[in-house]
Amino acid sequence: MCAVKAFFDKLGKNETYVKIFKTPFTYLTGAILLSIFQVVSLGATGDPWGVSGTFANWGAWLYRLVGGNVDRWYYFSSAGAQAVLDRGFLNDPGTMRNLGIIFGALAAVLLASQFKIKKIKSKKQVVAAVVGGFLMGYGARLAYGCNIGALYSAIASLSLSGWAFAVFLFIGAFFGSKLLRKFFM
Amino acid sequence: MAEFTLDCLGEACPIPLMKTEKKLEGLAVGDILIVSIDHSCAMKNIPEWARKQGHNVEIDEVDDGEWEVVIEKTK
Repeated sequence: MCAVKAFFDKLGKNETYVKIFKTPFTYLTGAILLSIFQVVSLGATGDPWGVSGTFANWGAWLYRLVGGNVDRWYYFSSAGAQAVLDRGFLNDPGTMRNLGIIFGALAAVLLASQFKIKKIKSKKQVVAAVVGGFLMGYGARLAYGCNIGALYSAIASLSLSGWAFAVFLFIGAFFGSKLLRKFFM
Repeated sequence: MAEFTLDCLGEACPIPLMKTEKKLEGLAVGDILIVSIDHSCAMKNIPEWARKQGHNVEIDEVDDGEWEVVIEKTK
């Protein structure tokens, strides 16, 4: 046991290990990696990178699991949306990508030994998280994408819609930060 | 040369940064402010902001996922 602990203590101080797993990447490094991986993702799946659309499908699958049916819902009524739902949870590239983000984030925080379960400080935080999450999810569906699908991937695909999304994103962030100052400062 | 603490544990970005800006405003030159954080992006944006303002900054990793940002107000 002591040998194992000594090994990890030494590894945790190793310069290369600290540089790769512990110190945050610069914004430039992050941007380059994101660009490379979104091209890989586009090539591998045939669709631009998106995140929140998959969550709507997860909701539909959960609803099916308890006996519900979304076939007549306008959002899922297209042949494409039905095909994705029929292929199932495990045969969906978006599912794999989102699971990759969740487990990748967990792996990254464990490798940096920065895992911590945070305390909820106030009821305000819970209300803000629930209301904010609902608005973000609902808004993303109305906009046909979140800041990844409708902003990042749209701009990367040379679509003007991404820039239009960006303008309104900044307007939303402006009012969001006002609310933050009002309720949390 | 007084020492102050600011507990931002459990607060998500950008609240720790906003609270630090506000708290530091009321301190005198030479005072030390110790900000406790457990949101890793605050470990990046608080020191970045404070150094840009010209203050002296040090970061202590006090536990897994927990840091203290020590800021000395220089002006």
